[in-house]
Amino acid sequence: MSFDVSDQEFVAIVGPSGCGKSTILNMIGGLVTPSAGTVEVDGLRVSGVAPPNVGYVFQKDTVFPWRTVARNIALGLEYRGVTGAEQTRRVREAIALAGLQGFEDAFPATLSGGMRQRVALMRTLVVDPGILLMDEPFGALDTHTKLNLHAELLRLWGVRRQTVVFVTHDLSEAITLADRVVVMTRRPGRLKLIHAVELPRPRDVIKLRETEEYAREYSRVWHVLGEEFAGAAV
Amino acid sequence: MTAGVVAWRLAILVVLLASWQWLTGIKAISRMPGLYWLDPFFISRPSAIAARFAYLAGGQVRLSIWQMALSTVQSTLWGFAVGVATGFAAGLVLGRHQRLARVFEPYIVAFNSLPRIALVPLITMVFGFGLLAKVVLAWTIVFFIVFFNTYQGARSVDADLIHSARFLGAGERQIMRTVIVPSALAWTFASLTPSISFALIGVVVGEFLGGESGGGLGYLIIQSLGTLNAADMMVALLALGVIGSVLALGIKQLERRLLRWRPEYREGA
Repeated sequence: MSFDVSDQEFVAIVGPSGCGKSTILNMIGGLVTPSAGTVEVDGLRVSGVAPPNVGYVFQKDTVFPWRTVARNIALGLEYRGVTGAEQTRRVREAIALAGLQGFEDAFPATLSGGMRQRVALMRTLVVDPGILLMDEPFGALDTHTKLNLHAELLRLWGVRRQTVVFVTHDLSEAITLADRVVVMTRRPGRLKLIHAVELPRPRDVIKLRETEEYAREYSRVWHVLGEEFAGAAV
Repeated sequence: MTAGVVAWRLAILVVLLASWQWLTGIKAISRMPGLYWLDPFFISRPSAIAARFAYLAGGQVRLSIWQMALSTVQSTLWGFAVGVATGFAAGLVLGRHQRLARVFEPYIVAFNSLPRIALVPLITMVFGFGLLAKVVLAWTIVFFIVFFNTYQGARSVDADLIHSARFLGAGERQIMRTVIVPSALAWTFASLTPSISFALIGVVVGEFLGGESGGGLGYLIIQSLGTLNAADMMVALLALGVIGSVLALGIKQLERRLLRWRPEYREGA
């Protein structure tokens, strides 16, 4: 399979579980070396190390439990040697942007899953990566929280316009968020379809779902994806 | 804790002390010497213990109970500190270097299966009768407890936490400092309470052999055995009980503070 993601584009990859969606993301991120073929980020071939300009949000909760919210968000800055007033300012900004005021000194164990994922997202965004890889980041959350975070993500993305590759098995999530949806076949995963989502931006994640355009886009991709789900082993 | 619980505890203590005092005071057969319901020769009596404590705590003796307790506590804390530091460092290094761990495994297992008490004569031979021998003995026990825990902790660091640190721009040293050490520390702390107790055991055993130059409560126990003085022995045992509890409580407090990010240690929990 082969596909390109343009600068500032939001691409979602959907497919049945086990088709290798996450593996693609891990190859882009340098966590997995492809057995054949190449991955290039910003014109440079990725091999074994995380490309410098890439941020990664995991499905699993990767907020450091022994650090407070503020100190979690400060991590990337700390690693890059941004300290003192500059660090404090950027962390405060990120906290305000994510609506986490009042939770600066809270430890992750006291937060809900949605808030922890919000911290993980801000922790990635605070160092301002040009490329954002997201591996089912909202997969473990309930529908309501998920929708809130969709709105949040689109708002933040609207400000900075990172290039995003977003892996999910939830088609509605893919269509709500992405410019293009990449559909993969069931295992062994191949590229089935690349669908350009023709929905205007900015999108209202809640109202969007009631529109005819959304329904049309959804059914188009669902048609193709459904074949894959139908044939997938249970 | 409710007042009821405290009241019950006090009641049990009073009943225990009163019956000890009473049963060691009445004779089983009247006018026959040495035949008590409970023989104070072996277990002494609260009043005698209190008297001996007052004597040992006073200024008359060459080696007061306070000096002995201080010596025991000092040796225990030293053995504990050195054992924790070295055990933690070794656990961290071997936990992150699988090859090294495989090479050292048989040696670690072999040394750890050696009953530490068997080492006491050797340690005494090498390090003499003083503080150092006691510290070394405590160290040989504490080191392994802390080592195994830290080793487990360092090995079981969540790979995704390491990955996410790497994506945030962390170098290897930063990953060690911000991910692996705090992650392993949670495991290490779990080993501290048993470690302090075992350090105390090591020190007291060391003192059994140590003689007066090493001082300590273990010395008082052995000396009491030599003079068949049950009251002194009880004084030493009670002192050790208090010391052990205070040390364990202190460690627990430290653990609470340092692991306050864990839900089970949250304030009010």
